[in-house]
Amino acid sequence: MKRTLTVCPYCGVGCTFYLVSDKGRLVGVEPSATHPVSRGGLCVKGWNAYAFVHHPDRLTTPLVRRDGLLCPASWDEALNLVIEKLQAIQAKHGRDAVMFASSAKATNEENFLLMKLARAVFGTNNIDHCARLCHSSTVTGLAETFGSGAMTNSISCLDQTEVILVIGSNTTEQHPLIGSRILNAVRNGVRLIVADNRRIRLARHAELHLRHKNGSDVALLNGIMHVIISEGLTDRDFIAARTENYDALAKSVAEWTPERSADATGLKADEIIATARLFAGAERAMIVYSMGITQHSHGVDNVRCIASLAMLTGNVGRTGTGVNPLRGQNNVQGGCDMGALPDLYSGYQKVSDQKIRDKFARAWGVDELPESPGLPLTRAMDAASAGHLQGMFIMGENPMLSDPDQGHARKVLENLELLVVQDIFLTETAALADIVLPAACYAEKEGTFTNTERRVQRLHKAVAPPGTARADWEIICDLAERAGYPGMRYNNTAEIMNEAAALTPIYGGITDDRLDQHGLQWPCPDSSHPGTPILHLDHFTRGRGRFSPVTHRLPAELPDEQYPFVLTTGRTYFHWHTGSMTRRTHLLHREEPRSFIELHPDDAARIGVRDRDKLLVISRRGQVHTEARVTAMVIPGVVFMPFHFAEGAANALTNNILDPESSIPEFKVCAVSVEKLL
Amino acid sequence: MIKLTSDQLDQFITSLAEMWEVRLPILLSDGTRIIGSLKDGPLALLGGAILSKPTAAFFPQHGTVFIATEDGVPESTDSLQPIFILGFTPRDLACLRFIDRFFADGFCDDLYFHQRKSAVVAGISGYCGPYGSLLAPAGGDCDLEFFWEGSSWLVIPYSSAGKALVAEFTDSAPPEAENRYRQAVMTPPDENERFLRRASELLRGNSVPDSFWVEIGDRCIACTGCNLACPTCTCFGVQDWRSAKRVERSRMWDSCQLDGFMREASGHNPLGSEAERSRRRIHHKLAADPEKWGEISCFLCGRCDAVCPTGIGIIAVARELVTRFG
Repeated sequence: MKRTLTVCPYCGVGCTFYLVSDKGRLVGVEPSATHPVSRGGLCVKGWNAYAFVHHPDRLTTPLVRRDGLLCPASWDEALNLVIEKLQAIQAKHGRDAVMFASSAKATNEENFLLMKLARAVFGTNNIDHCARLCHSSTVTGLAETFGSGAMTNSISCLDQTEVILVIGSNTTEQHPLIGSRILNAVRNGVRLIVADNRRIRLARHAELHLRHKNGSDVALLNGIMHVIISEGLTDRDFIAARTENYDALAKSVAEWTPERSADATGLKADEIIATARLFAGAERAMIVYSMGITQHSHGVDNVRCIASLAMLTGNVGRTGTGVNPLRGQNNVQGGCDMGALPDLYSGYQKVSDQKIRDKFARAWGVDELPESPGLPLTRAMDAASAGHLQGMFIMGENPMLSDPDQGHARKVLENLELLVVQDIFLTETAALADIVLPAACYAEKEGTFTNTERRVQRLHKAVAPPGTARADWEIICDLAERAGYPGMRYNNTAEIMNEAAALTPIYGGITDDRLDQHGLQWPCPDSSHPGTPILHLDHFTRGRGRFSPVTHRLPAELPDEQYPFVLTTGRTYFHWHTGSMTRRTHLLHREEPRSFIELHPDDAARIGVRDRDKLLVISRRGQVHTEARVTAMVIPGVVFMPFHFAEGAANALTNNILDPESSIPEFKVCAVSVEKLL
Repeated sequence: MIKLTSDQLDQFITSLAEMWEVRLPILLSDGTRIIGSLKDGPLALLGGAILSKPTAAFFPQHGTVFIATEDGVPESTDSLQPIFILGFTPRDLACLRFIDRFFADGFCDDLYFHQRKSAVVAGISGYCGPYGSLLAPAGGDCDLEFFWEGSSWLVIPYSSAGKALVAEFTDSAPPEAENRYRQAVMTPPDENERFLRRASELLRGNSVPDSFWVEIGDRCIACTGCNLACPTCTCFGVQDWRSAKRVERSRMWDSCQLDGFMREASGHNPLGSEAERSRRRIHHKLAADPEKWGEISCFLCGRCDAVCPTGIGIIAVARELVTRFG
């Protein structure tokens, strides 16, 4: 028996556990008794995180498409072909005709290297990852208002606050060890406000549960701020000392009376007033949010309002306060930190800044690096459709299920001149690829992940990868070598982190030997720095916090006669994203084996649907078969679907309309009709 | 009764390695204690129960049942080295006794007894609980028991296998050490035991309203940790992994806190709500098992309370239940 301490590969909470192995096979999981976040516990996915690793569906050898079929190939053949074809596309159509999709499932080191491969070897800023689909609104919105797009406080602050406002986050299901901490806080007297129209578990414990209309968050938050200002509940000292542009905000929300806000949100004016008083009345209050805020065509505006609410009440830069976007993937924070973004290098350093470009070019031994920002992932499909993009290299992502408007995504991916997918299973996207590269999973490699509270933690190799599969970083280095670039030779992942740290001020003091035990929270600028549990202590990263007033915009597609329901999408507790791991985990798959749609009992009765009936759901983009789950979890007129299931894929229905600033798709609102299948 | 200094115990353990696969409490790098081997880290006998259940040595979280190929199901050719396992607290030993009986009752679970039947199980007790607190001696339920009396170990062999292991030692414990042991045996049951027995009475008397279980269910995030950490939980699921010309059947710890645990093929579920599942978890240990086995099947090891992220382990629930309903 061997035990290997590592980091959970599922959500951004960053629990650690020991993988138990026997004769090279994983046989279970044991929690870490001392970890500051998981504290001896795990969620159901964590307890089962060993179970997919040896699944017989794992990719074990490279595959190359021949005569329409994916056939086993040698690494030499597959990697040479990747380089040859990428270079041919660039020669023919220009450097920016290829795009690299990095992965929030991969390590910091691997994200850093893929970013380096795109920029230093292939000379393009076309690099992005799935943060585009989850928290790009946060990165944009908080960078503008605070100067840093990360969670301001630490998870432990939930034990030290008075009021928690959870908005657009089903925390007990999607960040279970944070959700449970909120439940415990409430038991200990913390007062909870939940703003989310689904009756999620936290709502059952909330003092106020606001079931506002989908996409009306700006109207709600502006209404709350109106009450806070009009009743004199603002933190005047904080506003004067730490912020700017307050007058513009005050002017902007002046028209958002509780009555107007109630009208726009479907709430009662009293609920908005009570929320404002409870939140602003606390000495310490935290805002916790997630996809319910970000995944809108006005996601950045939502984030701006949240930042304003926190500043208005002085709830930034202290223990038990803050704006706390919960990052979804295990390493989506790290993917962003490492610069797997089209406009930023690691540490949020701008590609448009000549000095920064020079710094990276010197370190990487290249003459120059591309200047203009690359394509966001969500605009890549349209770019490909228009012929601007001919080749995609996708590492550990499955846009066939995770991107909006699946029909469009399929057509584009099929029509690419070259699609390379590097993954652990033959996902729906990999099945369309020209070349498939088999990767090691989290249990089979070294590296680091950064959790939602900016804690950089090490993962350790417990077992060998299957067949000839290799760690993502090893594959990327091999590709660089074959492309004729000598600057990616590393003996181990620690050497990669050393390079990243040297180029990335917020990671300046991060080295592997300092991360054992419980990691370090960035900013950690030098080797003696203890890490930073709370951001913006004395001043905001940008200097003064900026109030950014916004106007209320409706979602892009609202119900009408033909499509009378609002469809909102998300995840379930038991599955992870496109299900490639959890649907191959017996207990998790048994729990949620098929696609379903939540439908309110009143709506079900009206259209003659019973629980577990087979339904046809139709939107302007497509239609899917699914199963009815009749429940008061949703409000009348709204239906909810998880996007895990290839059969009954929610993203065949969703609307590929993007926030103009962050390019995040509006996964949370589109219009559908629901019919019973006879 | 044999007295061993810590050094003598170390030597004794080292001497076992030739014959046995030795497993014992080990401190890992992040401060977690496990039942492992000396090559995993330093010995960590003091500190009480290990968070992960020691019964996993015989009933692991995941185990292969068989692998079938075109040639049928080959017999296992693994040479089995017997296990010497130290680190069961007296409460853990009671759990082991309980599941030994369960896995042998009416059928014999070969997979469980594969390692179990040749294993030597050593208990650990004395003033080695958390912060030096007393773990009252088991007085049996194991092959031999190691009692920490504050400065040395007293070793009490019970079974013939246990006696054979320490045959080379002479009874060397001074009378005052034996007295400390005898006093420890007389330790009255702790408060939690009283709460658990009372909770059992209330449940068996149908004195707990359904609304209580709705409240507990509302606090359950279905992590399943309570079941997976529990040494007397024996439920498992079974899966088949099929690949070309090969089927691998394995079993893994299951949880009655999952909807799929009792869901019928029709979709109907007799334990279809969190409240019903929460009730079942407690009721099974405190009401159903006493009917079947004549004893409560929770021995207060504390693991479900330690791993539960929301504070509804069995001890917490029993205390709340007794406080509210009598």
